[in-house]
Amino acid sequence: MTGIVLQQGINGIVIGSLYVLVALGLTLIYGVLVQINFAHADIVTLGAFTAYAVTHFLGQSYFAGIAVALAVGAVLGWLVNATIFSPLRDRGNELLPLIATIGVSIMLQNAMLALLGPIPYAFETPYSNLVIRYGGLFLTVQNVLIVVVSSVSIALLYGFMKFTFLGKALRAVAQDRETAGLMGINPNHLIMLTFVIASALAGMGGALLGPVLVLTPFAGTSVIVKAFAIVIIGGFGNIEGTILAGLLVGLIESFTTQFLDPGLIDIVVFALLLLTLAVRPTGLVAEKREENV
Amino acid sequence: MKRLRVFTYLAVLAGSFVAVAATSAIAADHVIKIGGLFPISGPGSYFGVQDKQGIELALDRINKTGVAGYTFEIQYEDSACAPLPATQAAKRLIDEYKPDVLIGEECSDATLAVMPIVEQAKIPLINAGSSSIKVTDPGNPWTFRIMPNEVMQGVDIATNAYKRLNARTAVLLHENTNAGIGNANVFADTFTKLGGKVLADIGFGRDVNDFTAIATRIAGIGDVDVIPTYTLEGQGLKITQALMQAGVVKGGGGKAIQLGTIWLPFGFEHKAGNAAIGYIRIVQFDPTDQRPLVRDFVEAFKAKFNTDPTHINAHAYDQIMLIADVVKRGGTDPQSIRDKLAATKGFAGVTGTVEFDKSNQNVEMDTVHYMETKPDLSWVSLKWN
Repeated sequence: MTGIVLQQGINGIVIGSLYVLVALGLTLIYGVLVQINFAHADIVTLGAFTAYAVTHFLGQSYFAGIAVALAVGAVLGWLVNATIFSPLRDRGNELLPLIATIGVSIMLQNAMLALLGPIPYAFETPYSNLVIRYGGLFLTVQNVLIVVVSSVSIALLYGFMKFTFLGKALRAVAQDRETAGLMGINPNHLIMLTFVIASALAGMGGALLGPVLVLTPFAGTSVIVKAFAIVIIGGFGNIEGTILAGLLVGLIESFTTQFLDPGLIDIVVFALLLLTLAVRPTGLVAEKREENV
Repeated sequence: MKRLRVFTYLAVLAGSFVAVAATSAIAADHVIKIGGLFPISGPGSYFGVQDKQGIELALDRINKTGVAGYTFEIQYEDSACAPLPATQAAKRLIDEYKPDVLIGEECSDATLAVMPIVEQAKIPLINAGSSSIKVTDPGNPWTFRIMPNEVMQGVDIATNAYKRLNARTAVLLHENTNAGIGNANVFADTFTKLGGKVLADIGFGRDVNDFTAIATRIAGIGDVDVIPTYTLEGQGLKITQALMQAGVVKGGGGKAIQLGTIWLPFGFEHKAGNAAIGYIRIVQFDPTDQRPLVRDFVEAFKAKFNTDPTHINAHAYDQIMLIADVVKRGGTDPQSIRDKLAATKGFAGVTGTVEFDKSNQNVEMDTVHYMETKPDLSWVSLKWN
């Protein structure tokens, strides 16, 4: 039984790492803009298909696929913010950008559907079926990659936010956009940076998720609901909370599958969400909202 | 004389116009309108894409000459493999397009939701992809199913697992839908009555992506002989790969054999790779079938789409060909199409023979073909029926 518990712990950390990667982009945007980005899921899907195209059609390595997916995510984040979200924000109505994220989401989904079709793609990497077995435990090299790349990305993002000038400026914008502007920080540039970083993370998350997901143009949607739950459980806009909640949700999924029933996963996860909202509405890592990012 | 000749020309010309106009009017009237309810979006949309291919080929062929003076046209609506969009799509088709006959859906939950609507509208529905027993039991006079239901498939595969594979233990894997639960229950009932033991019954939602935790649980159960699996293609792919990674199934060095019914299309094994080795499943269509009817279909399909047909292509093709057969026998409006469908005897389709019982269920078992995936990922027909 110890072996099973350990194995499910590993499984939970792997899937939790992926959730964190997706949820971090959401939390970053919420922390800076207090805006929910529904199109995030579709940037994840696009990242997965980009990595698929780079590896399967262009014959490049999986790592090249991850890098291109990251770049495509970043460019798309810049493009969508510059052409859609930013002009709508300038009109001063908070509802318009929110609705626009839904529009962008539907547009991206249907564009991918028209281009790629609905039949599930099998995204195999050279590491998908390379299995490391040790003492009754098993782990694919793909899963090792997921944990390593996620951990490095999370650490880099954390370091960027805490220790660099731009990161500090971003936090200043999150705390008080007007005052930050008076201090010589251009909030619009930093909002753009937020979208670029969040979308790059989503693109890279997609490249890592692609071999795990049932890869169709709707793939990201199945993950994004959990990612929203993670953002809320962790504390809106709180990076540390998001990391903790993501890993927690991953572990809950694994142990619910083992000891209860996989059909109960959503019930358990969303019961935790409701419990968090009732008992600790500010999330697991509660801080003042201004200090979240 | 010259005037007479001009008059004759004009008369012939006018007569020709009248004849052409009359023929056009007849042709316009002599159209069988088919409403297609298929998933075009969502996780089941691979059904819709392949259904359309089969339908397109069938319509191309029968519209070349028409049938008993009738041509055929189709209008599709996206029923999305789910009850709510399926009912909305059915209402739209019935209210706006006014079809003579409907075909679809693929997913049982969607078909069950549509059945009361077609019954109320008195328009026959031909179904080829929903396995839930509830579709034909207790039955609905307007719904006809040409595929074997979950009981026909489940009893057969459980019996074969016990008697031919000597399986004594099973773990059931299924999506939590009418069809998923129903198929798993039928297998469990038959298998346990024969003396087998079900070690676990694991259901999951369609939003589950990572099946490593489920594979880990199965690996921890111990000695599992067979794993009957009931999911759509995408999840089926991930389950098979996870079972291989966990060392449970033959493809991963284990001993368990995955079993399946009519859920996965031809080509699944190439996507799953070595994980699919040893997978035994019922398919509704055997592409290696040597009947001239099947060879002709396979060749025509390859010529049109440059790929091998799947069972989904085949059963969609059969739905249209069955309607053509009904029209040939005099069914030309919803009521007469329904009556002629009910009277169908020995219709030879590419998936097998069609003959309905009183509940409008096809009773012929030659639509059940057992296939095993070999190490080179090819199929071999097991000829168990």
